[in-house]
Amino acid sequence: MAIGVIPQLIKNLFSRPMTVRFPHEAIPIPDGYRGEHAYDVGSCTSCTLCARVCPNRAIEMVKAPEEHREKYPKTYPQIDLGKCCFCGLCQDICASGAMKLTKGFFLSTNDRATVLRPPFASSEQD
Amino acid sequence: MRATPVNRVTGADGITEGCRTEDGFDLYFGPVHPGSGNFGVKLTVRGEEVVAARADPGYLHRGFEKLMEYRTPMQNSVLSDRLCILESLNWNLVHAEAVDRLHDTEIPDRAKYIRVIMAELSRIQSHIIWYGVLSKALGFDTGFKVAFGYRDYVLDLFEFVTGGRVYPAGYICPGGVRRDFPKGTKERIRELLTKMEKMSREFEAYDNATIRTRVKGIGVLALDDAIRLGATGPVLRASGLAADVRRDAPYEVYDKLDFEIPVHEEGDAYARSIIQRREIEESIKIIRQALEQLPAEELPPVKPKAAGKIPEGEVYVRNEIARGEAGVYMKSVGESHPYRCKIRGPDFLHMIPVLEHLLVGAEVADVPAIYWSLNICPADMDR
Repeated sequence: MAIGVIPQLIKNLFSRPMTVRFPHEAIPIPDGYRGEHAYDVGSCTSCTLCARVCPNRAIEMVKAPEEHREKYPKTYPQIDLGKCCFCGLCQDICASGAMKLTKGFFLSTNDRATVLRPPFASSEQD
Repeated sequence: MRATPVNRVTGADGITEGCRTEDGFDLYFGPVHPGSGNFGVKLTVRGEEVVAARADPGYLHRGFEKLMEYRTPMQNSVLSDRLCILESLNWNLVHAEAVDRLHDTEIPDRAKYIRVIMAELSRIQSHIIWYGVLSKALGFDTGFKVAFGYRDYVLDLFEFVTGGRVYPAGYICPGGVRRDFPKGTKERIRELLTKMEKMSREFEAYDNATIRTRVKGIGVLALDDAIRLGATGPVLRASGLAADVRRDAPYEVYDKLDFEIPVHEEGDAYARSIIQRREIEESIKIIRQALEQLPAEELPPVKPKAAGKIPEGEVYVRNEIARGEAGVYMKSVGESHPYRCKIRGPDFLHMIPVLEHLLVGAEVADVPAIYWSLNICPADMDR
């Protein structure tokens, strides 16, 4: 009965563990990972496709803040990471390449306000 | 702050008032129990014997069938991941096939092979979880940890191919797959299969007398009961019927692949655990063949469309997933969303009629072994 187990036990004593010591060591994140969004307002055409394709309605089109409104008169996507399921449909449907998913996965937060990702990061939204 | 102790009223025999019934004593197994998943069974026990069992579903109900009526097929693809967290890719495939059939789409050959490879990897991954949780239920913690360690190798591959470890976000979608295999995937899958074979040998080595005493002759499901109660998949095959949708009504490219259907006559928890290990080996065989036959031409990615309508009609598609037979009935009236999407999950029958039938007459200590030997998934059952 124990014949199969004992050699395995001895082998385990000298073999490498299956896990890595995170955060000192981490498994590399592959290309094409669906992590935090990188949005480029400069190339966005405000077509609203990302907001319409989002299965969780996590994207809302909002106006630019007052100081940017002359240059950016349309509406732009604001992402609610609390609702997002990171499916990447917004990235796939975006014809101008303004919406991309990155390898960022350190997303946990204690501050509910930081869950919203406005298109213009610096100031308040209307 | 200290929690206020619950003021329990106990009788002379120490049993909490209200739990004592005419038949014996009510014992709740789940839904918040380390050994039950998100699902509960109300047991009535007399001494060590279970005299009645009543499944209590609904704890994990999320209303997928209704949600799907308000979403486009591509959005539903993403949603279909969540039908069973433990084998998302298989559920992606059932849903995608139903939409494809309504659209009458011809899927490129390479996409069909990729679908089969990913579905079989998902089956292996799901069976590894099954092995792990069954070991945990038997008190064999090493088996649980080894299994979940190996599962991560499969998840690494899923991450590489689909961009997510557990949720592929509708990787298998209507029209094919969302993107082709990245460069070097074939080699990575072959490396993974070598690891899976090593794992299979380890699982064989752990199959010793201690484990057998816990599962042999426990939870015996006779073939006529299995058929009467609607068991499918590994549970039915462990009772002696060689039924498998992959062979009986082949879909995708299963008719071009050579594989066996493991069958056992005993119908007990041990037979089910053997079927589980044999099926991992068969899936490895299927993936090796599919990799050999995989066409070389490049596959264009399938992108979501801004607008589109599902042609009018109704279909029923069934697939063999790790837990048994999964079906999707979809009706369209020519709108962008399906009019109705009925989902048939194998675990609805495994976790209610079959489980209730098997638990009656069992001992309390055998409840987790019977429960987990059925390869259950509360997410699939409650939907």
